Parts: sequence; C-alpha cells; structure tokens
Amino acid sequence: MSGKTIIEMLNYDKNDKRHRFARRAIIAAASLVVFVLLWWNLSLLLANPAIPTPQKTWSALTYLFAHGDSVSGVTMWSHISISLRRFVYGLLLAMAVAVPLGLFLGYSETLREFTMPTLEILRPIAPIAWAPIFIFTTGYVWGPILVVFVGIFFPMLTNTMFGVKKIDPNWIDAAKTMGATRVQVFTKVMFPAAVPYVMNGLRVGMGIGWMCIVASELYASFGGGIGFFVSIMAQMGYWDYVFAGIAVIAVLGLLTITVSDYVHKFIVRRMGME
Amino acid sequence: MTGIKKTQAKDRLRDALGGKQRQTLSGDIKIENLRKVYRTDESETVALEDFSLEIKKGELITIVGPSGCGKTTILKLIAGLVEPTSGTVTIGGEVCEGPGPDRGMVFQDFALFPWRSVRKNVEFGLEIAGVPKEERRERAQRYIEIVGLEKFADARVHELSGGMKQRVGIARALVNRPDIILMDEPFGALDAQTRNIMQGSLLRILEKTDQTILFVTHSVDEAVYLSDRIVVLTKRPARIKEIVEIDLPRPRDRASVEFTSIRKRILEELEKENVME
Repeated sequence: MSGKTIIEMLNYDKNDKRHRFARRAIIAAASLVVFVLLWWNLSLLLANPAIPTPQKTWSALTYLFAHGDSVSGVTMWSHISISLRRFVYGLLLAMAVAVPLGLFLGYSETLREFTMPTLEILRPIAPIAWAPIFIFTTGYVWGPILVVFVGIFFPMLTNTMFGVKKIDPNWIDAAKTMGATRVQVFTKVMFPAAVPYVMNGLRVGMGIGWMCIVASELYASFGGGIGFFVSIMAQMGYWDYVFAGIAVIAVLGLLTITVSDYVHKFIVRRMGME
Repeated sequence: MTGIKKTQAKDRLRDALGGKQRQTLSGDIKIENLRKVYRTDESETVALEDFSLEIKKGELITIVGPSGCGKTTILKLIAGLVEPTSGTVTIGGEVCEGPGPDRGMVFQDFALFPWRSVRKNVEFGLEIAGVPKEERRERAQRYIEIVGLEKFADARVHELSGGMKQRVGIARALVNRPDIILMDEPFGALDAQTRNIMQGSLLRILEKTDQTILFVTHSVDEAVYLSDRIVVLTKRPARIKEIVEIDLPRPRDRASVEFTSIRKRILEELEKENVME
C-alpha cells in the first residue's frame, strides 16, 4: 500500500467536480458490494431454494436474455418490451386525461366542487385493486394499461391543479391588460405556467406507474410482461429465474425514476422556472 | 372581448406601426366619480370615494397617499381588472368596460412570463392581437431598443437584474400602444440607486414615445422627480386631497430649492393624514 488509507482517499477537494463525482461513485460501489455480499451469505446460510445465490441469479439472467425460457418461449427482451409498452400507453393516457382536467379543475371552482367529492372517494383506492375488474372487463392487454393509468392519473391531476392555483395572479392580470381573452389566458398563461407542476406529477406518477405495471402483470394469467414472467416462474419453482426477473424490475424502475427526474429538471430549467 | 373591440385594437396596432397619428376624438382620459366598496357579510369597507380625474394625452401623473389607502385599487379599477361600485373610465369618448389593450399595466413585481424570452415577453400583446410574426418581431425589436435591452433580447427573464426586468415590463406595455399606461409602484422592488437610474430612463423613454402615464408610488421624491401633476390622496377611504402641478424643467435637480420645498410640502400633507388616525 502506498500508505494511503481509505479514509484519506475520501478526503477530497469539495470544489473539484471530478473529485466529488469519484467520491460518490466509490461510495455507491461500496454500498452495492456490501449488499451483494450480504445476499450471498444469507442464501448460503439459509440454503433455501427460494433464495438463490447472486451467482446463480446472474447466470439465469444472462441465459434469459440470450435464449429465453422454455415456459413462455420468449427472451427477457420481449417481456421487457411488453411491460414498457403497457407502461408508456398508460402514461400517455393518464397525461391526456389528467392534464386538461387538472387545468379546468384548477380554473373553475364550480367544476372543482362538483368533481372533487367523487375523485376523493376514488383516490385512496390502491390502483392494483382495480386489476381484477380491468383485466376481466378489458382483457390482459388493456387491463394492466388501465391500472397504470389509474396509478399515474391522481398524482398528475393533483399536481396540475396545484400548479394552476400557484399561478401568480399578476400574470393573469398582465395578460388581460394586453387584451387576452379567457381562452388566451388559459392557453398562453395558465397552461405554460402549470407545466413545471405537470412535470412534477409526471415524475411522481412514473414511479407509481412502474409499480402498477408489474403488480397488475403478476395478477394476469397470460399475456407476457415481466410481472407475468415472475409470477409464472414462482409457480413452477424456478427461483433463480424469479430473482432474475426481480433484478430486471429493479433496474428498469431505477431507470424510469432517473429518466423522469432528468426530464423534470430539464424542462423546468428550459422554461426558466426553477 | 367583443368583436368590435378586437378590430379596434387591430386597427390601432396597424396605425401605430405605420407611424400614423391615431384618429381618436382626443387622447384624453376621463375618470368620473370612481367609487369602490368591498362588501363582506359583516362589514362594508369603502376603499375609494369620488375619484375623478382628467388626464391629457402625454401627461405623466403620479398618485401618492398614505400606505394602505387603496392606490393599487385605483389602477386596477381603471385597468378594468376590478369592477367599480360606481363611476366610469372614458377614453376618447368611449366608456371602458373590463380590461383591454387600450390600458397597459406595469407591475411592481414585474409579472413577466418566465417561460418566455425578453423578446417573447414584449411580443405577447401583439401575439394576442393576432399581429403577423414578422411584424411582431419588428415592432418588439423597436421597443426593446427603446428600453436599451437589445443585447438581452433573447435572454431569459431569470438572467436579468431587477432594473432590466422592469425595462422589459415597460417595453411590454408600450409595444401595444395603449392610450394610457398604469404603473403600480414599478420601481418599488428596486434598490435606491437602480431606482434613480430607472426614473431617468423612464423619462427618456417617454420622450421617444409620448405616452400617457398614471403612476402610483410610495416615494414623494419619485413623484416630484417624474410628474406633471401629483395627485395626493387621503387615508382610507381614499379621496383626492390635493392635486399639485409641477412645472419645473426636466431633468429635475433633486437638490434644488424648488424641488425640496415641493417635496417637503407634500410630505407634510401626507404626515397629517397619518397623524389623524
């Protein structure tokens, strides 16, 4: 050793961006290493087939991506693409409904008073509770999409409404004194002013939406998707495949959150509304 | 807005672009017996009583009064943003109802749209009136130059200093060629030094545009520096206590005997209003 302890290595120059980044990368890597070691020990200790070692999970994972499994007959890529597609449809559907509705509800008190009691009754229901009904009525393609829709709809709606309420009343007055009609106030002031809040709703909604898609696929008895894959493999006792599926869910969930965080930051900064 | 009003607004914009003199009966503004009462279930508050004022085209009038006497309410009433309990605002023989582009407004906290660039903020009113894109650009550019922001035309609002923000606010109001610009403590959020600079700039801008201005301020010094006439209000319910005409030549010297004596007199008047409480 060159005489440097780990502690010394962590003493970094706070003003240097590369130092900051390197330090965070080292700590993050250490966290993951500790996690994998704990998992490894636990699986050896318990010697339970339902908790495979990281090594077994890894080889299952590489096999699934390359060849797929014999039960569903397709590779992991195709499960991922099924789940992601449902996720995106649900997301777009929720945006298309929740954003205009949130703008109107934020704008009109009467409409708000009329709609909110019903929405408040529906909101506390866990989105996944709708899965049996949606899958039964609309099938295994639309069912999970609708569950995602419900999961994303509410955070999107409340954030949009909140955004409209937070609009600086002087913006609206300024627009009116420049001759804006009610419609123009709506499209040229209220809508752009609410966008950062809509984006925040999107960020929260995407996290929830990803959980909804996996959960509703667990419930579906066919149709593919990662949730479906995990549920089938668990029924058949292929625990290394189950763990591989869970690992994929974790990584994709992390990606979703990272992407939505980035989009949120980018748009808010782009609009000069930090 | 009614269809008739909208075509008028468009005509006005076209005239302004062509540099033609406007064909109104006169540019004069008549405010008659404006009164505002705020009612709640328990109480009635008279905010403004019997406010009448005639303003000639190109005049700069400031309103000063004890704090909380309802100066902003007067501007919002004239702008049409608040309904008067009674009274009318007449421009060129036509009674104003509701807000419209004939009465522009400049706000204390600027009220710029942060998602738009400087240029796009200035273009807002023209966009609303349906002015074609190229014409919009050209006109906005002219007013951006008048307020001295040509280097910042594509900057975002958050990149500007307070003084620059208010220049955008002024350009945004001027570009629509309103009959009157209502300024609600426009320099109130600025530091003392910037404030003095902005007062000088405003006067220079007005030389180029010949706008009619109704200006609300806390600062008697600012009022004496800028105004053709100063309207002094009483405490709530606000009435006109006195109208002071100031015919000192511009640029005015704040240290001159005349300046300080007018300032002193108005301050004393306001002092009396506060003591009476």
